[in-house]
Parts: sequence; structure tokens; C-alpha cells
Amino acid sequence: MTADDNRLNRRDVLKGTGAAGLAGIGLTAGCVSTADETPTPTESSGGGGGGGGDDDDTATPTEGGDMGAYEIGMVNSLTGSLSAFGARNERGMELALESVNGVGIGGRELSIIVEDSESQAQAGVSAAQKLVNQDQVPFVIGAVGSGVSLAIYESVIQSTDVVQLSQNSTSPDLTNFPGLLRMSPTGRTQSTALADIISEDGYDSVAVAWVNNDYGQGLRDAFVDAWEGDVAYDSPHDQGQSSYSSTVSEMANSEADAWLFITYQPEFTAMAQEAFSNGYEAQYYGADSVQGSDVLADTPEGSLEGMKIVTPSAAVEEQNYQDFASRFEEAYDQTPSSWAAFAYDCVITAALSIATADEFTGAALQETVRDVTRPEGEQVTTFAEAMEVLGEDGSPSDIDYQGVSGPIDFDENGDPVGFLQIFSVEDHEYVSTGFTSA
Amino acid sequence: MSVLEYIANGLVFSSIIVLASIGLSLVYSIADFANFAHGDTMTVGAYGTLVTFGFVGGLGGTVLGLPYGFFVALVVGIVVAAVVAVVTQRLVYEPLDIGSIGLLITSIGVAFVYRALVRLGFGADPREYAVELQRPIEALVPYGIRMTVHDVAIVGSAALLVTGLHLLLQYTDLGRKMRAMADNPDLARVSGIRTGRIRIWTWLIGAGLAGAGGGFLGLYNNVGPRMGFDILLVVFAAVILGGIGSVYGAMLGGLLIGMIDQMTPILGDVGIPIGTEYSYAIAFVIMVAVLLVRPTGIAGEAGS
Repeated sequence: MTADDNRLNRRDVLKGTGAAGLAGIGLTAGCVSTADETPTPTESSGGGGGGGGDDDDTATPTEGGDMGAYEIGMVNSLTGSLSAFGARNERGMELALESVNGVGIGGRELSIIVEDSESQAQAGVSAAQKLVNQDQVPFVIGAVGSGVSLAIYESVIQSTDVVQLSQNSTSPDLTNFPGLLRMSPTGRTQSTALADIISEDGYDSVAVAWVNNDYGQGLRDAFVDAWEGDVAYDSPHDQGQSSYSSTVSEMANSEADAWLFITYQPEFTAMAQEAFSNGYEAQYYGADSVQGSDVLADTPEGSLEGMKIVTPSAAVEEQNYQDFASRFEEAYDQTPSSWAAFAYDCVITAALSIATADEFTGAALQETVRDVTRPEGEQVTTFAEAMEVLGEDGSPSDIDYQGVSGPIDFDENGDPVGFLQIFSVEDHEYVSTGFTSA
Repeated sequence: MSVLEYIANGLVFSSIIVLASIGLSLVYSIADFANFAHGDTMTVGAYGTLVTFGFVGGLGGTVLGLPYGFFVALVVGIVVAAVVAVVTQRLVYEPLDIGSIGLLITSIGVAFVYRALVRLGFGADPREYAVELQRPIEALVPYGIRMTVHDVAIVGSAALLVTGLHLLLQYTDLGRKMRAMADNPDLARVSGIRTGRIRIWTWLIGAGLAGAGGGFLGLYNNVGPRMGFDILLVVFAAVILGGIGSVYGAMLGGLLIGMIDQMTPILGDVGIPIGTEYSYAIAFVIMVAVLLVRPTGIAGEAGS
């Protein structure tokens, strides 16, 4: 990446610079998928003589009449421990491309170069380097694991104006990087929603039992931050303990009337049984991890009556989600997961930001990507509808894309609004009682 | 009034630990190695009970909120645990001539095999016996004691089994031979005791008690593939505290460790900021403290 090399080579091998300077890592990542997925070399050579984006002045507009596809990148977990997520993302992405290319962006198509992160930070960074430096995409969707997303942001994206939008990362850490957008809300939103619900129900004191790991600690911290009342009991417990009677006794002795469980199903089941056997009664609340049919089967009828549980959810009652779900079922013969919905919305959001940008560059997309989902404009639920509202020269604030995964509405930290479904236990069944965003 | 509640909780939990500890100590006394498969032997007993209970179901009437069928199933669970342990002893431990450390490591492997087989057969999800969960006994609630009749059944059955074992050890021919062999196997053999047969009996009784402990643990909490392994460390603490190899020490150690574990909330109540998540740590600290004073454990014999 030295300047000397660049200057010497620029005249002779315009296109070569990016590759030459950065080939070291980019090429070792040289994934199988690259060979057949770079169909428009003309465009990248036309647009990006500067190599990598540290040369802003050379980023020429793309209006030079080329009608090839807009190319963006995606770092996905095609292999490795998160490959199940990768597969869901693939499906969501393909459906979204169908939606976008059915309409087109100003007569051009959208194409996505997919690279594998192997679910690991090192390989993820290589994949992103290849996309940014070699393929010169201005928009990268990626990655799945939070650690991978952060590594990519810190070592590849941060110094450029390329847009990064993570499809599946949920760690609270990403909130500290406003430049790194994500589609999946942080786990914190669940805690905030729970704090709101408990105080709306009129309780000012709560007993919180949380499982002693990152998940429990994270949700508990966020809850305590958001909760304004008294926390009468606030203790962790280990998974797989042989006895939870001390936990339950202490919750009862704390004399809080609202009990919040941030733990897993078997642990919660044991505690609910213990509370029942001890004759304790309280209003229960729970994180989504305590919800399950096994829990209902193993607790006595009536022992959970009125319990409220908040779970992250796609916009399952909206028309656009239902259309998405039925298309998904038709194509893949299974119901979509929320992860597929996140990937779907990533692609639509990217397409809308391209459609409203002045030019196809990272700098221009940075200007539009947040606004297309924010509440200022007219609410639209599909890509086609959005393009209709935008017409010939709409601006990003004319539309407010409502995703299949929720309202999105990126905040100043690049986090979407959490869209959550509230369940309550009635007659020993989970009944959806509404949605909330936080 | 919460102290009485903690004591009641402790009594129930101790009952399970005591049953498991006795078995572990018995096996140690004659086989001379720490059997890490003991916890998973409990799991085997619990699943034996679970499966049998599924067949016999609500047989006959009920006592203490439990159908007679449950006790039948429990006996089957005990037998299954005992048989599995004896078969393992004959196939694995006995042919191995590798010293007590080698046997200890082997028993960890055996524990993994038990657990894997249980998971293969029944999946990893926790199960429940099909018995109705009980509410606390009304008469005791005003005193702050919240025990169900199931808790009473656990404590009562454990007391019965412990008494039975005591009578067996003290007043029967088999018991005397077992004690003789635990004291000195060579002397026992030259005295004409058939040590092989006594060894089998000891395994049967030790593993059977573990099976009973597992069966009750399933009633107390739930039945899952890790249930026995998760409780094994406290059981070891109880056995060491009581003096390893001593049956009566194991009873006392089990009672103490179970009580300490369930009494931990008192610390919080009197303002010491140590939460219940440290209950095992506290139990082990107390164990170490006792061993510093009495290196052989509470009832261990000096100089053995």
C-alpha cells in the first residue's frame, strides 16, 4: 500500500494498483467464489482507480453510461460454527435480490459478491479486504458473528468510507461503533422493554435471577440500567445446579412482587417448580430464553399464569412479512427465521441507499443509508413501493422503509430499533399480547 | 422465620447427598479408588426410575403424594443402577491392573460413556416424572417451613435406607464381612471371607444407594443426562469431609455439606455480601478448614 508503488504504477496499470498494493492478504483469501462472481471488471476499473478509497479525488462518478449491475459485497458465514446462520442469510439475500431486480434500480440490477468468513475474524477480515480493495465495493453487508463484524470494521472499513451493515451481530459492543450499522437489534433492547413493561404494570421493586454467563450478565446489566425502581434481589446462579431452592427462597424473602428471570428453560423450570412447591406467588417476567413448550409441559397448570415474556421478533403481523414468509416457504419449503429476515432487509436497505444516492460511492451511500429507514418519510414496506414513492429523483428522507424484520430506524449508534413481541401465559399457553419497540 | 425454611431445604438436599455419599465411600472402602462414574450411576438410577414409572404409572393408591408405582419404579431404578455398576466392575475395573490413579481416570471415561448412552437413548432435554407437583404442607407454613409431602417422602425414604444400611452393617453376617474387608482385605481373606463375593455385594449396595439418590434427585429437581455429574463434586466434598472410606462419616459429611449449601442465603440476610452462587465454594472452604484440623476427615480413622 505504499505511495511510491502507487505513483509508479498508476499510469501503466490503472486497475492493477488496488490489487498490487493489497494483494498480499487479499489474494491469500482468494476464495473459490470469486472467480465466477466478478462479471463486470469494466465498471470497477472505470470507477476506482484510487485503490481502496484512500484517494478520494479519483473516485469518479459512475454515471458514465455503464449499464452493468451495481455490485456490493457480503461477508457471510458459509462455513464454520455459524454456518447455519449463513445458510439462513443466503436464503434471505436471494429473495431480496429477486425483489430488487424485479424492479431494478434506475434500470440497473443489483448483484452481490459473497465471501466466506469461515465464522472467524481472521478469514472475515481477509474476505472484507478482498471485497473492498479488489472488487472495490462501496457497501459491505457483514458479518454474522459480532467478533467478526468488529474485526472487519476495525481493520478494513474504519479507514475508508465504505458502508458496513452487519446482518446478524447482536453484541452490545457494536453500539460503541456508530459507523458500523447492523440490522439485528442488540440484546439490550429486550431488557429495556422488560423494564418498561414491569414499571407500566405498577411495580417499583423487582427480584432478578440471572444466569451466570455473558448472556445473563449482559441482559441483567442492561435491565438494571433501564430500571428506575428498586432491585430487591439481584443474583446470578449457575447453569445445571442440582438445587435452586436457595435462589427461590431468597427471591421470596426479598419481598419484591415482580420476579424477572433471565436464564434458560431447564433452570427456569426448576425455579418455577420450586416456587410452586413452596407456595410462593409473584408476577413473573422473563427473557425470551425462558419460553418454551417444555417449560409449559413441566410446570403445573396455573403456576405461570400471567407471566410476561418479551422476545425479539420480526414484524410477523405485517403484510410485508407475511408476503416474505409465503415467498420463503414457496422457495425453500420452510418457515423463515428472523435471521433470514435481517439479511433480506440488509439487501433492501442497501438497494434503497443506492437508489437515492447521487453516485455509487461509499461516501454517497453513507449519506443515504440511514435515512431510507428513518421515520421522516412516507412509510413503505417493499422495495417496489419505495421506488414508486421515490419516482425519478426522490431523496432518502422521502421514504421510511419498514422492514420485514421490524421498523429498522437506525439510531445514532447504527443500531436498529428493537422490535419485540410480548407474550403472556394464559391458561398455561403463550398468548401474544402485542408488540413493542425499544 | 426464613432460617427454618433454609433448614428444611437443607434437610431435603442433604438426604440426596447422603445417599450418594454413602455409596461413594463404600465403593472407595473396598475398591480403593475414587469412582468418578458414581454421579452418572445416579443418573442411570434416575432414568431407570423414569422409564419404569412410565410403564407402571399410577399403580394403586398414593402415599405422600406419590403413587405406589413410583416406589416400584424407584426399586427398579436402584436395581438397574446396581446391575450396571457391577457389570462395569466385572468388565472394566476388575480386569484392569493399573493402580488407583489409573482406575480413577478410567472411571471418568466410564462416566462419559454412561452419560453418552443416556443421551443417546433419551436425548439431552430434562424430563420430569409424571407426578403432580405438590404445594407446601399447610400446617407447617405458619412456622415458615415450606415442605411438600414429596420432600417428606425423600427425607423419610433416605432415613429408611440409611437405617437399613446401618442394621445391615452392624447386625448381619454380610455387614460384618464388609466391615472386615474394608479394614483389611488381606486379613479378611485369610480369615476365610470370600472377598470376591463381598466386593460384588459392596458394589451392589453402593451403586444401589446412588440409584436411589438419583431417583430422588429427579423428583426434587428434574431428570437430565448431566444431573449426576453436576452433583458429583459436592458428593465428593461430603465424602472427604466425613472421612473417605467411612460410611458413617459419609452420612455426617453429606448432611453437613447439604445443609451448608442450602444455608448460604443466611449470609446475605445478615448483611455479608456473599451470594448463593458461591454456595459450593463455601462448602469446599469449610471442607478444607475441617481437613486442616482433622486431616482424615471427621470420622476417618487416623493412620490408615
